[in-house]
Amino acid sequence: MAREVMRRQASDNPYFHRDFHATLNQGLIYLQERFGPAAVRDYLRQLGRTFYSPLNESLRRGGLEAIRQYLEKVYSEENAEYEIQSNENDLEMKIARCPAVSHIRKSGFTVSDMFCETTKTIFETICEDTPFDFRLEEYKPETGKSRFRFFRRPR
Amino acid sequence: MIPCTEFIPAYSELFKFLENKGGRAAVTDFWNFLSDTFLGNLRDLVAANGIRGCWLYWSRTLNEEAADFTMELDEAAGEFRILMHHCPSKGRLLAYPHLQPYGEYCRHCDSLYRRVLEPLGYFYEVDLSRAEEARCSVVVKRRGMGGSANRK
Repeated sequence: MAREVMRRQASDNPYFHRDFHATLNQGLIYLQERFGPAAVRDYLRQLGRTFYSPLNESLRRGGLEAIRQYLEKVYSEENAEYEIQSNENDLEMKIARCPAVSHIRKSGFTVSDMFCETTKTIFETICEDTPFDFRLEEYKPETGKSRFRFFRRPR
Repeated sequence: MIPCTEFIPAYSELFKFLENKGGRAAVTDFWNFLSDTFLGNLRDLVAANGIRGCWLYWSRTLNEEAADFTMELDEAAGEFRILMHHCPSKGRLLAYPHLQPYGEYCRHCDSLYRRVLEPLGYFYEVDLSRAEEARCSVVVKRRGMGGSANRK
């Protein structure tokens, strides 16, 4: 019978636990089942207005460059295949497949049919009270392949 | 997509959202749902490997979460311990200057894991008295191995 000890410090490992994608997915499924689709959007709006408030502030003050830097950082960390084109008025991003959707499926879970709201509602909320708006132009639920735009609202 | 590195604030906000919707009972109901639908891997590992299943499960998750911890397995004693010196989840929540963590955030671990381990024949005990410093400890002990799990 073995006796084992493992000691680790935070600096021993990168912080990257993909299973969190599946946990969030279960949260969306639970919310939709118990409280309906509006609750999923309400929850994500709450998250957008609290945790993502600094990004909203950066977008208001610094324009689309702040969004570009954020998207490049997080999608690179997630090893996504993507393209971004942007200027001061418009940003378009294409993602070949969503790393979260891929991991959820690989782990054997059903992907919430509202999973696209983690992009759509969050980014719409981040655009609130800024000169910009957000539109999810294309989304494939099977893979999470998507194309979306941030664009300056007409004056 | 919410990146997995930004999941913890999303989790905390979900607990707050649920509490506003249905009180503490709604949060507990969600934790039960999550335990039942999401922790099949822990359940399978412990069912197949006994107390070592805990070691196998947390060896992966705590390393992927870059936790600061000491983990101990004593198979002869049927005992497994985690000393969390700095929890990466609670630590992150405390570090965000613009976010108020859910007050009972750390209770989710107790709720989720106890629900899996106790029906398999284990005592599960967690000490959250230092949760506000992002520290805690967990003891899992096989029943019939000398009483309840003792806090360290």
